[in-house]
Amino acid sequence: MHSKKNRVIPINRSEGDLEIHLEMENDRVVEARSVGTMYRGFENLLKGRAPLDGLVITPRICGICSTAQLKAAVKALDMIADVRIPDDAIRVRNLTLMTEQMQNDLRHAFLLFTPDFTSPAYREHPLFEEAVKRYRPLQGETVVHTIRETKKVIEIIAILGGQWPHSSFMVPGGVVSVPGQNDISQCRSLLANFRHWYERRVLGCSLARWAEVRTLEDLDIWLDEDEAHREGEVGFFIRFARETNLHELGKGHGNFICFGAFEKPGKSAMNRSENAPYLFPPGFFLDGQVAPFNQEKITEDVTFSHFESHGRPRHPYEETTVVEPPASDSEAYSWGKAPRYDGYPAETGPLAELVMASNPLIKGILDREGPSVFLRQLARLVRPTFLLPVMDCWLKETGVGNEIFYRKNEQQENGQGFGLIEAHRGALGHWVTLEHGKISQYQVITPTAWNASPRDANGIRGPWEEALIGTLVKNPEHPVEIGHTIRSFDPCMVCCVHTIRGHARRTTARIFC
Amino acid sequence: MSTTLYWIQGGGCGGDTWSFLNAESPDLTELFDILSIEPLWHPSLSALDLKSKEKLDRRILSGEQSLDILCVEGSVLQGPSGSGLADTLQGKPKKDLIAALASKAQYVIAVGTCASYGGFGTDQETEATGMQFHKHSFGGFLGKRYRSKSGLPVINLPGCPCHNDILAGTLSMVINDVPLELNENHSPLDWYRIMVHQGCTRNEYHEYRVEEKQFGEKGCLFFYMGCQGPLVTGPCNKILWNRRSSKTRVGVPCFGCTHTDFPQQYPFFKTRNIEGIPIELPAGVSRAHYMAYKGMAAAAAPKRLIKRKSGI
Repeated sequence: MHSKKNRVIPINRSEGDLEIHLEMENDRVVEARSVGTMYRGFENLLKGRAPLDGLVITPRICGICSTAQLKAAVKALDMIADVRIPDDAIRVRNLTLMTEQMQNDLRHAFLLFTPDFTSPAYREHPLFEEAVKRYRPLQGETVVHTIRETKKVIEIIAILGGQWPHSSFMVPGGVVSVPGQNDISQCRSLLANFRHWYERRVLGCSLARWAEVRTLEDLDIWLDEDEAHREGEVGFFIRFARETNLHELGKGHGNFICFGAFEKPGKSAMNRSENAPYLFPPGFFLDGQVAPFNQEKITEDVTFSHFESHGRPRHPYEETTVVEPPASDSEAYSWGKAPRYDGYPAETGPLAELVMASNPLIKGILDREGPSVFLRQLARLVRPTFLLPVMDCWLKETGVGNEIFYRKNEQQENGQGFGLIEAHRGALGHWVTLEHGKISQYQVITPTAWNASPRDANGIRGPWEEALIGTLVKNPEHPVEIGHTIRSFDPCMVCCVHTIRGHARRTTARIFC
Repeated sequence: MSTTLYWIQGGGCGGDTWSFLNAESPDLTELFDILSIEPLWHPSLSALDLKSKEKLDRRILSGEQSLDILCVEGSVLQGPSGSGLADTLQGKPKKDLIAALASKAQYVIAVGTCASYGGFGTDQETEATGMQFHKHSFGGFLGKRYRSKSGLPVINLPGCPCHNDILAGTLSMVINDVPLELNENHSPLDWYRIMVHQGCTRNEYHEYRVEEKQFGEKGCLFFYMGCQGPLVTGPCNKILWNRRSSKTRVGVPCFGCTHTDFPQQYPFFKTRNIEGIPIELPAGVSRAHYMAYKGMAAAAAPKRLIKRKSGI
């Protein structure tokens, strides 16, 4: 029987509220629109304020990535002040951001993503009972362990930056804290403890053993090799996901963007083997090729957004955020803008980072199977394997040389700067203009703005809209496929700083997933 | 008998939820066990399908399901133009659901500064406001006359974010019928009568007026760097953050995030002063005496402190 209907699917267990508007034909998604449901107006709130105020206000955009917002904000001000950051300050900034990132990746994986495996839709799944045991909200074994271990590792941020979330310890020129070796020792112990848990319980093996897994075949061998590998969270995820064909779900455009993650300090033992300035290099991936990244190619398109248009997509230095209230004859359906790179939409996040870094396992699977829910989650789950050894190295080096954590600089009255970083969900940028000692313009493009982008003037869908097309919803009562696809991007709607509610059009059904 | 808890998020960043997850000894799951809390709904942690969630809301509003504690995180967004459409749930203003749930709850707890006093966006098109305060004015979203079923007004737990210990302690007191004494801004005195400054490891600098003038210099942050530790209440330096430290201890000025009017309109990181003395002095202090004391204190400052030998 042919049936066509429209659905609005609210997504909880994202960071903030989100609804997906779908057009379905025979239980298959034929059209998708992603709609945030809240507007907080942070960019406009910053206008007219003192230059450093962004360091206090922008972390409050997001409770789970406040350190990432802080780092983007401070980098824009570093650029305006034209100050060189001391190596130890680079280390402290990165170490705190990396800690926040590991916290985020594991909380996302086990508190927000895998609870879907306990949905009644999987009642017949051979691993269902085990999934319930692990991932039942607030009770599953893995959930409880994740809560306990992530809050401990976060203590590193408190030692180096005062508190988590919402500190403002990064300032133009470096950081305000001056950790002593007593502080650093505590951080090293916390990191070692976390690494122990991560290897034992999440990875199921040592970082060294995991580093040998370079192909899908290696992955099979690794799974067969040891019960600990199969029973670890990564192994369990792989088994559940492959059985459920999550490697065929949620493809998307296959374009990726990365702003470059974790600039290396000038002097470090780590630099001996690698000369690259970043741990994960910046780049734009299109048609199988990585192109060099240039921020001038970024624009924001508002054709389908409820914002005033200026006839063409504009670079964030020029772009303003002026609300244009929804009208019934308007084609606009979202209060999110459509960020584009060189005119293209692009997916961002851990998968994009590992693609830019040409990680053999992740890039190999991408070449064979394309992007998918499975690959996005796998990239997120194993990202800490790249961070942990580097963190250990940088912690050892912190405060050992000249102990300079801040370089004096003059606060500028006028100027323009951008801060581009990799937040936990991907590319995050702040573009700041100062005039007469005040902020005259502030634009933030968050990772979720890239991933949750609406269409552009050419009618090209945003990444997760595209990833939903063609999805077969097997059980309309429990549309887990939609939730998997959206959550595999780790949506953060509170970060969608200029997203406001969209109006539900032709709604015939609403379902949670 | 278990205690039912419903958590709703308005205009916020989720930071109070993530802060609550930092609870230790007991941790979040242990706390719920100890206090027999039955979480009916939390937007970030629950896995109810839509039908069950809608049924739950209906049952609470009809009185079939008792609601003991309503936790509100984030401000109530009343804009644009009073429509409440800046924050919606399935097309409807979320503020309507917040009001309906508040009318059924035994206790309402505003978790964080945004829920308590409005916080970010109070002067913006989003028309953010707090549950029962709009900045320092009593009233807010629910109005002065509102009382929850227990007879208490909304209990405010300000802080950006709210410290997990304060929320855990308040839940424990409410559930164990321990009387809560509230200050004039309706925050429990047990956590909001101490000044943020108390317990700061930089207090010795403050004592002798050894002041920090540039970042990383080490010293008291009150005279020049905009620290509000002596001006606002909160237990940051008593119970510490993440069990380890506090912003002021590592050299980040207190931004006064528990204050009714946070975020302030004047610049952060800078103390407003008259001839080198802060305009705002520690609560209840006489200006003339304070200036005399500070002048003598600076003269008495020991060299080891001036040379920052303590390593703090």
